Amino acid sequence: MSNIKGKRYLPEGKHVMMGNVAMSEGALAAGLDFFGGYPITPSTEVIEHLARRMPEVGGVCMQMEDELASINAVMGASLVGAKSMTATSGPGFSLMVETISMAACLEIPFVFCDVQRNGPGTGFVTEPHHNDLGLMRFAGNGEFGVIALAPMNCQELFDLTINAFNFAETYRCPVFIVSDAYLGHLHEPLIIPPKEEIIKKVIPRELPDDLTHKFTYFDNKTKTYIIPKPPIMGTDYVPLMFLHQAHNSSGMSSQREALPFTKMLTDKLTTNIDKISITEEYKIDDAEIIIISYGLPVRTSYRAVDIARKEGIKVGILRLITLWPFPDEKVKDIVKDAKAVIVPELNYIGIIAEQVERVTDLNIPIIKIPKICEFHHPDDILKVIKEVAK
Amino acid sequence: MSAYPSEQPEHPYLSISMPGKFFKRYLSLFCAGCGYGIIGHLFNRVFEDEKVDPKLHPVVIGIGCYGQILLTLHHATQRILTLHGRAPALATGMKMANPKMKPIIFTGDGDSLGIGGNHFMHICRRNLDCVILIFNNSIYAMTGGQGAPTTLFGAMSSTTPYKMFEPRVDGVKLALTAGASYVARTTVAHPRTLMKYFRKGLKHKGTAVIEIITPCITYFGRKNLDSLGAENLGIKGQKMDNTGIMIDWIKRNSVRINQAKFMTEDELMNKYIIGEFRYDPTKPEYSEEYEKIKKIAMGEK
Repeated sequence: MSNIKGKRYLPEGKHVMMGNVAMSEGALAAGLDFFGGYPITPSTEVIEHLARRMPEVGGVCMQMEDELASINAVMGASLVGAKSMTATSGPGFSLMVETISMAACLEIPFVFCDVQRNGPGTGFVTEPHHNDLGLMRFAGNGEFGVIALAPMNCQELFDLTINAFNFAETYRCPVFIVSDAYLGHLHEPLIIPPKEEIIKKVIPRELPDDLTHKFTYFDNKTKTYIIPKPPIMGTDYVPLMFLHQAHNSSGMSSQREALPFTKMLTDKLTTNIDKISITEEYKIDDAEIIIISYGLPVRTSYRAVDIARKEGIKVGILRLITLWPFPDEKVKDIVKDAKAVIVPELNYIGIIAEQVERVTDLNIPIIKIPKICEFHHPDDILKVIKEVAK
Repeated sequence: MSAYPSEQPEHPYLSISMPGKFFKRYLSLFCAGCGYGIIGHLFNRVFEDEKVDPKLHPVVIGIGCYGQILLTLHHATQRILTLHGRAPALATGMKMANPKMKPIIFTGDGDSLGIGGNHFMHICRRNLDCVILIFNNSIYAMTGGQGAPTTLFGAMSSTTPYKMFEPRVDGVKLALTAGASYVARTTVAHPRTLMKYFRKGLKHKGTAVIEIITPCITYFGRKNLDSLGAENLGIKGQKMDNTGIMIDWIKRNSVRINQAKFMTEDELMNKYIIGEFRYDPTKPEYSEEYEKIKKIAMGEK
C-alpha cells in the first residue's frame, strides 16, 4: 500500500484488506487524530497498522505502557479536541472499564474497538467469543448508556467505524465496535467510497456557536435532551472545572443533580433510539420463524434461510447492527406474530437472546444456538429451523 | 495596623484565586495545618507572576486530599480531576494531541507512587514536556490515614496500628532512574525554594518532577512522635498535633543534598533529602521526537 503514503483517504474502488486494517482505515477516514493502544491479540494489527499510518497523516499513534494508560491517554486527547480511539480485547477491556465510566460521566466521546476473544481469563486468544457484550452495556461503575455497533464483514467494519465516530460526536458517549477474532483477521474485498462522499458524511469536531452549555441538559420547552458539542480544553469552551460527579450543563456538581443526571445519561440515547438504531431485515415480511442475530452468525443465517425457503419454510432474519441501546420496540414489533424466534450467537448464555426474551411474549419460544470458538454451520441453524417448523 | 477590616489593604494575590475572584475571600476545604493551602497559594503566585497562559497549561489533578485544591487554584486555570493514579496518562494524551500544551500534573504520593506508579515511571521515561508536582504527606489522608508506600519506617497509621514495617518508596530516586530530566524535592517549609523550583520546571523542556513534603496533622501528625527520623539519637519525642511542631519536624527531618553526600545510609533512613537532583535540558523531549517521526513518515526527512 505504498501508493497511499501520506494520504488520509484511500483511493476509491475495490481493495482487499484484513478486518482490523479495514477498521483502522475507517477510523482514519472518520478523522482519527489520536490512537492510544496496548498490543493484545487479536487486536494487534490495529495498532501495527496505525503506528505506520498515523504519523503519515499528521496524527499520533502511541503505544502506552498498559491498557489503563492507553484509555486515559485517549480520553485526554479527546478532551483537547482530537478524535480518538483505542482497540483492545477482553482482558484489556476489563482493565479499561474504570475510565469508560468516567468518560461517560464527563460525556467525553471516543470510539472503542473490542476485538473479542474467548474467555474467561486468558482464554483461547485467536478464537471468537461474543462474551464482552454484557460488559459493554454495564462497563464501569455507575449507570449510563452506551452505543455498540456490530459489523459482519470488512466493508461494514469500514463503514460502521465512520458511523461510530459520528455517534460519538453527536451523542457524547462511549461507542463500541463489536468485532471478534475471526472478523478482525478476515481478509475480504471492500469498496472504498470516494473521498468527497466520506467527507460529507463525517461530523467534524469544532467549537459551537453557543458556548453557554457544556454538558447535555433537558430542554423543558421542547421536552428533549439537547446535546451540545464536546468541550475542548485550550479554548474558551470549557466548564469551570471537570468534576466526575453528577453535574448540570455548566459542570457544577451537586447531589440534587444525581437523579436527573443519571436519567440523562441513559435517556439521551433511548429518546434518540430511532436515529441510533440500525437494523436490517431479510425475507421477514411473511416469515413465521424469525432469526435474530448480529455479527458473524448472520452470514451463516442467510445461507440457512435460503435453503429453508426453498423447502417452503417461512423464515426470515432480523439483523441487529446497533446492539446497545437495544431496539426494544423494533424487536417487539417484528416478533409479535412469530411462531418461534431463533437466536444464533457466539456465546453460551445468549446475551442478546436474554434481551429478546425481555421484550417478547412469554408464549413465543426463544431458541438459542450457542457456539464458542467456532462458526455456526448453516446446517446447525437449518436443523433448528426444521425442528421448529414441524 | 488599622482598626477596621474594611480599611485593611487587600492582599495583592487575593483576587487571583477562584473564591477570591468571586467572593473576595479565601476559601479552603483543608484541615487546619494542612500544607496544600500553601502549595495552592504558591502555585497561584507563580502562575500570576510568570503570566502563564492557562489555555496551554491545563491542570490535571489526581485523586487525594489535594483534589480539593481545584477550588483554591488560579481562577483562569483549566482544571480536570482525573481518576486515581491516571493523571500522568491523561496528560500524555493531552500533550500529544496538542503539542503546544504543557500540562501541570498535581499528584499525591499514593496516587503517583502507589496506584499510578507505572504511569509515573513511563511519563518520566518518555521525558514528556510537563510539570509533575508530587504532594507527599506520607499517608493516605483522604480515606482516613492508611499506610502509604511513602510512610516512614516505624510510623503509625490506621492500617499499620503496631508500626510501619515496609520499606518506603523514594519518588525522587524512581524519577531519576526512570529518566526524568528535572528532578527536585522541597518542602512546604521552604516556600521560596518551592516557587523557584516550580518556575524552573515551567521553563524546562521535559519532565519536571518536584516532590513536595507536606504536613498532614490530622492523620499523620496526631499519631506520630516528632522523634521519627531521629531513632538513632534515642530522644523522647512529642506528638505532632499542631502545625508548629509538624513544620519544625519537617525542617529538622530534611537534609540538603550536599550534606546528604557525607551521611551514611543509616543516618539517612527516614530523612528527606531536599534539593535539585538533576537538571538536564539536553535530553530529547518526547513530543518533539514524535514530530520528527511524523516528518520521516511524511517523507520530508
